Amino acid sequence: MRSIEEEQEHTEVVESYLSFKLDEEFFAVDVKKVIEILEVPGITSIPLSPDYMAGIINLRGKVLPLIDTKVKFGLDPIEFTVDTCIVVIEIEVEGETLQIGTLVDSVLEVLDVPNSNIQPSPSIEAKYRLDFIRGMIRRDDDFIMLLNLDEVFSIQDVMYMQEANENMSSTELTEK
Amino acid sequence: MENLHNIYLEEAEDLFSKIEESLLLLEKAPDDSSLIAEVFRSMHTLKGSSSMYGSNKVADFVHNLETIYDRVRGREIDLSQPIIDATFRSLDHLKKIVQSPDIPDPIDAKYHEKLTAEILGLLDESEGTDKIITRAKGTKKKTFLISFTPDKDIFINGTNPILLVDELAELGASQVFSYMEKGLSSKTFDPKKCYTSWDILLVADDDVNPIKDVFIFVEETSKIAVDKVFDGNLLSLPEFTSQLPPVDLKGKRLTLKNIQNFISKIPKEVLERQEEENQIMEVEVTEEVVTEETQKTHGSEESITSIRVSSDKLDELMNQVSELVTTQAGLSMYSENNFDPVLNAIADNVEKLSRQLRDIAFEMTLIQISNLFRRFNRVTRDISNQLGKAVKFVTEGGDTELDKKIIDSLADPLMHLIRNSLDHGIESREERVKKGKPEKGTIKLSSYYSGAKVYIQIEDDGRGIDAAKIREKAITNRLISKDDKLSEKEIFDLIFVPGFSLAKSVTDISGRGVGMDVVKKNILDIRGDISVESKIGEGTKITLGLPLTLSVIDGLLVKVQETSFIVPLVDIKKCFEIKRDELSNDFNELIKLEDDKIPYLDLRKEFLIKNEDVPEKASIILLENENNRIAVCVDSIVGEYQAVLKPVGKYYRNQEFVSGATILGDGSIALVLDAYKIIARKIVKQKKSA
Repeated sequence: MRSIEEEQEHTEVVESYLSFKLDEEFFAVDVKKVIEILEVPGITSIPLSPDYMAGIINLRGKVLPLIDTKVKFGLDPIEFTVDTCIVVIEIEVEGETLQIGTLVDSVLEVLDVPNSNIQPSPSIEAKYRLDFIRGMIRRDDDFIMLLNLDEVFSIQDVMYMQEANENMSSTELTEK
Repeated sequence: MENLHNIYLEEAEDLFSKIEESLLLLEKAPDDSSLIAEVFRSMHTLKGSSSMYGSNKVADFVHNLETIYDRVRGREIDLSQPIIDATFRSLDHLKKIVQSPDIPDPIDAKYHEKLTAEILGLLDESEGTDKIITRAKGTKKKTFLISFTPDKDIFINGTNPILLVDELAELGASQVFSYMEKGLSSKTFDPKKCYTSWDILLVADDDVNPIKDVFIFVEETSKIAVDKVFDGNLLSLPEFTSQLPPVDLKGKRLTLKNIQNFISKIPKEVLERQEEENQIMEVEVTEEVVTEETQKTHGSEESITSIRVSSDKLDELMNQVSELVTTQAGLSMYSENNFDPVLNAIADNVEKLSRQLRDIAFEMTLIQISNLFRRFNRVTRDISNQLGKAVKFVTEGGDTELDKKIIDSLADPLMHLIRNSLDHGIESREERVKKGKPEKGTIKLSSYYSGAKVYIQIEDDGRGIDAAKIREKAITNRLISKDDKLSEKEIFDLIFVPGFSLAKSVTDISGRGVGMDVVKKNILDIRGDISVESKIGEGTKITLGLPLTLSVIDGLLVKVQETSFIVPLVDIKKCFEIKRDELSNDFNELIKLEDDKIPYLDLRKEFLIKNEDVPEKASIILLENENNRIAVCVDSIVGEYQAVLKPVGKYYRNQEFVSGATILGDGSIALVLDAYKIIARKIVKQKKSA
């Protein structure tokens, strides 16, 4: 006869995650939030916007804002290679569902991960803001960071960065 | 359910405004029967949908009102002022209670009772209820023979033939004969099959359609025959019923011949009497039938000329169409570069078709402004009564069509302007008589097309605005200094400054000084403009100029480096080319144009675009809003472009100088610039450096 724990383990929820690479680090997002993956088309940048706002693209007649995920995470701006992709995701912002495109260095694979394999993010390694990370997935020797999308791309954060940006540019102006 | 409720509320609102409009007209012409019929019809519909939605309190309330108008329609009573007043009050009350049909608020509930009593009182004054009701019920009755032999496998479809027979019986008096198939034995009997058939004698209205409708789901498999056997109610004649065979499962089926046989045996006098009775009933109901018919034609006309579509669907349609137009532009461009005559022809056709489609889709999103005007009709009536002023409210050009979004955002500013005219513009009766003006003041609300714009005017023949007074007030408020020389237009524009009010006393209706500035802001928000003309003692005219739509913008396509921008054409005064080095030396960022010096904004510098491959020549676009002129320097001008405006999303809401984006023919994106914000940027900069 199986014990209750075994039973629970047996019926555990397995969810799918899309993994991608930024520089040498691995990240993953819930597959349910991913709409599609695109090659990089012509991008129109909007003047005077924050650095991590990479511009807008024409997605079949709709205007899709692009975010340079690397700048967002404090890395160098993305350099376009053949592997560069746009992951179109759906996020919840101010009670509205929005689609945005996130630029990533390369898209890897879809992983099926049981919930029990997701470990809480270690609080020691504060390289990335902790509220951005939902947890860690262990894979061979690597850790994959599972992103909390609504948090990462919340507009409040955009506004905050925006202000910082504007202060910078205004000091620039006065210097001139 | 939520959805249904919304549809119901929408419909109710429509009906309210329809009734209100007709009532207002009826006040002037209480004998107009078509208007009365219109009111009655709308009330009837309202009652129907209310009871369907389950708010019986509303339905009962409307029912009483409807009865009054039914009598008015039948010329039994005249449409008196008390009735009209009571109806108006009832409408206001109804507007409230349709939102929460249980009437949770005790004050509302009390009012509800009071109004109901009042209406019942009005009803009592005009006796004669019974007549109408009996008359309404009388209709021509005919006798039908229906023979129904269901398909043997009818049970497999889940149909119960007995229910169909029951349903028939609900249509009128009936006599049912049922039969079992002969020669059934316990061996051959299959319980899954139907062996029964029926003959039904039915007395119903002279229309076979409701009868046939009963069998609508089985008519393909079962044998059904419907025959009219007699112009009258046979089942009410004992001479006929006595001849009918007893109900016997094994009996012979009734045929048309049987029935005719029975009829022939009935004494002629009896038949004639029956026919006569039927005739009398017909006479009595003719009127009813006629009005019903007119109702029907009216109803069908309406349903043909307009259908209800949710605005979301229209928006979606507009999106798809604009996408199509963009794709088509791509095709045209490709075909022009590839000299293939067949492709060219196809591309031309697609272009023509998609342009037509765009125009049609675009027109569909427009609605007539009369919907909005109607609302003010009522408000003017109420406010002028409240103020004790006599005002004639005239509307013109209600068929002018505008984008729904524009109409929605016009409601508040227009309401404010009309209130102003009523409160401050139109003088009291005595004052008007003294001045030799007609006792009744006039407020005219009109609307017309001119070019790519729609103009809306509010005109009154009241006391007008005293420019000198505004000047004085502006000086005491330190808006201007004593030495400032202002044109009349500039003086009138002062009334749009926040906090500026000329009213001597704050009244209920207007005069708090918050208002005109909000009006102006609202109008600017929908890319419109506002201007005032006034003559003391003669009246005031306020003109609003509005774009036809918010989703399409006529613009000039320009380029700075690789980025395309669209500048709205309405804000552009002039364009010309200069050499770039003429600009670069300029310290104050002023450019000489004719005899003027105009501040300029170099978009390259402004948007921090790298100074690579700067072309020798640059183009200057002169932007102008009412007070400011600013030159904007771009690399080149491509040409005019009709842009379908798309939002760039919340992430870019801080880049407010971009009012949206549009997709060009080659699939690339151009940013639509907000000229006002660009001008504001420049002004702020000037102030900073000063």
